Amino acid sequence: MPLPRARLLTGAATALVAAALATGCGDLSRGELQRGVQSLSALAAQGRLLADGVARDRTKKTYARVMSRTLGAAAQHEAEKLADATPASDAQRERDRAVDLAGELSELYGRLQTFAGDEHVGREVGAGMRRVQAKADALDESLGARP
Amino acid sequence: MKTIGKIALGIIAAIGGFLDIGDLVFNTQAGATFRFDLLWAVVLGTIGIAVYAEMCGRVAAVSGRPVFDVIRMRLGFSTGLVALVASTFVNLLTVGAELGGLALILELLFDTTYSMFVILAFFLLIVIVAGLPFGGLERLFGYGGLLLFVFVATAIHQEPDWTAVGNGFIPSIKWDPTYLYFVVGVFSAALMPYEVHFYSSGAIEERWTKRNLKENRLNAMFGYGIGGILACALIVVSGQLFHPLGVDPTDLGTVALPAQDAFGETGLLLALGGMLFAIGGATIDSSFAGAYNVAQFLGWEWGRYRGPRKAPRFTIAWLLFLALGVVLAESGINPVDITEYSVVFSVVALPFTYLPLILIARDRTFMGEHANGRLASVLGWGYFAVIIVLAIAAIPLLLATNGGGG
Amino acid sequence: MSLRSGEEIRLGYRLLDEQIIDVDGKRCGRVDDLELRHDPPRVTAILVGVGLYPRRVPRRLRGLVRRLVGPETWGENALRIPWEEVDRIDAAVRLKGKAEELGLGNGDDPDRWMVRRLPWN
Repeated sequence: MPLPRARLLTGAATALVAAALATGCGDLSRGELQRGVQSLSALAAQGRLLADGVARDRTKKTYARVMSRTLGAAAQHEAEKLADATPASDAQRERDRAVDLAGELSELYGRLQTFAGDEHVGREVGAGMRRVQAKADALDESLGARP
Repeated sequence: MKTIGKIALGIIAAIGGFLDIGDLVFNTQAGATFRFDLLWAVVLGTIGIAVYAEMCGRVAAVSGRPVFDVIRMRLGFSTGLVALVASTFVNLLTVGAELGGLALILELLFDTTYSMFVILAFFLLIVIVAGLPFGGLERLFGYGGLLLFVFVATAIHQEPDWTAVGNGFIPSIKWDPTYLYFVVGVFSAALMPYEVHFYSSGAIEERWTKRNLKENRLNAMFGYGIGGILACALIVVSGQLFHPLGVDPTDLGTVALPAQDAFGETGLLLALGGMLFAIGGATIDSSFAGAYNVAQFLGWEWGRYRGPRKAPRFTIAWLLFLALGVVLAESGINPVDITEYSVVFSVVALPFTYLPLILIARDRTFMGEHANGRLASVLGWGYFAVIIVLAIAAIPLLLATNGGGG
Repeated sequence: MSLRSGEEIRLGYRLLDEQIIDVDGKRCGRVDDLELRHDPPRVTAILVGVGLYPRRVPRRLRGLVRRLVGPETWGENALRIPWEEVDRIDAAVRLKGKAEELGLGNGDDPDRWMVRRLPWN
């Protein structure tokens, strides 16, 4: 391959890699943040179902406990992922709110995990999950509304 | 000559054994993401496995040849080897996924560490296989799987919009990568080749002859057909409960949640129990299928009916599949993720084990008067076309949708 | 469809890669290759063994497979079964004699795997 062409290709490849790095991992666009918030809403929805089962003593303690542990870990993982990422300039505030929500979710799950047989805690956590889901849905809307 | 009663019991066992972790995961996710829109894909896959299984069962009963005997004979050594390697790879993933799923269910029921349950499940399965005759294995796990009818009861209890459910059975194509990915996934989870390979070798283990052809057809039509109802129920209950809430089921335990929501602790236990038997049976079927395929291709003695003394290499191969499944299940990868790969790759490998079978099934030199009739031919070739399309689309869709996650 | 040895058959279709079963019904390998002699060519022996696998794969993979199965050693990983030992061909190649006498199916010799030591024996 003639030298000038090789250099051109290497230059193009470097530019591509640089562009990818600039826009890629570590950076959080509004769209990506929105998806993260949606998954938080989904986790809260599941938590609500689980907590309602505990509240009405209609579930098995081990099931509620193990599910809370798994889902709580997922919420925690989401919180860390969002916290580590660098948000786009117009998503800073929303990102921080999302991290707070994820943390709240993780705490609620932790409580349900510990008190997996306690109906009172089940009601408490259920109400908490509903609140988190509502806040997450509102955040999702506000992220989607502004261009 | 088996009585109608015995055949009916066999069909009932087949119904209970229809689902495995792939069906449980993909159908629940399909319902949560697309509500009832993918019901038609379940039906398509269910008819597909009935067609494939009927052909393989017929070939085994008439010619005495199980699937990988046909493959080596029809494709020759080198092309057949490609089919064997692909099939072995998929079977390894499947055993790992099912074994991991088994441990997950045990963890949900008894809350001791997952890792321990993987090892426990490994030894428990060996004891069960060593202790029960071949037919007994199928009956134990098959009847246990019938507990999954709690999902049918849940679907009825939820009182969904039945018109919307009905519309889900009408095939529709949306040019959305995630939708298409689930079409492939739901279809492929229903048409897992290991199940048919196991069925084909099982026919020879049970010493089938031409007199079992009617039973073969009934197994295919009703055993798998009614089993498909269970798969549909999964989509309905998930579509009804999870879709409006936006729940994204990424855990195996989530599959049981609709039953708990409808019927409380009883529903939960029935669901988890059914899942335990279904996945347990699938672990045995997939590990056996892995051993059958290797032994048959290489010409070793094989079969549970021979026993470990007469078929030692086959026995060791089976134990190796289980052991490697343990390694995979303990690897830290979520069994649900392993399941996704096993289901997607299995449809990619499917043409290699499907084509030789249909070529033999229609060949009068081997099948005599029992070669494919018009219906079997139309269905057989029709499904081959569908399988080719899905096999080509599977991996691009997996990559494009990041595993259905988007 | 049953064939007596000596009849013309489509070699690639009905003989190569078939399962071999001895007189006691024991599965003991597959027809991995054929020996053809004389003019017009006739099958004079069936060849069995993993040592024959390298011949059956495309040229580019031959070296790799050879390294996996070892060199072709007659009497060990490659066996010659004279055509006269074949009784008939139906769903498999049926032999007149026992596998052990012909050196076939050694891989499934239970003593070799010390199967006696396994718990369920």
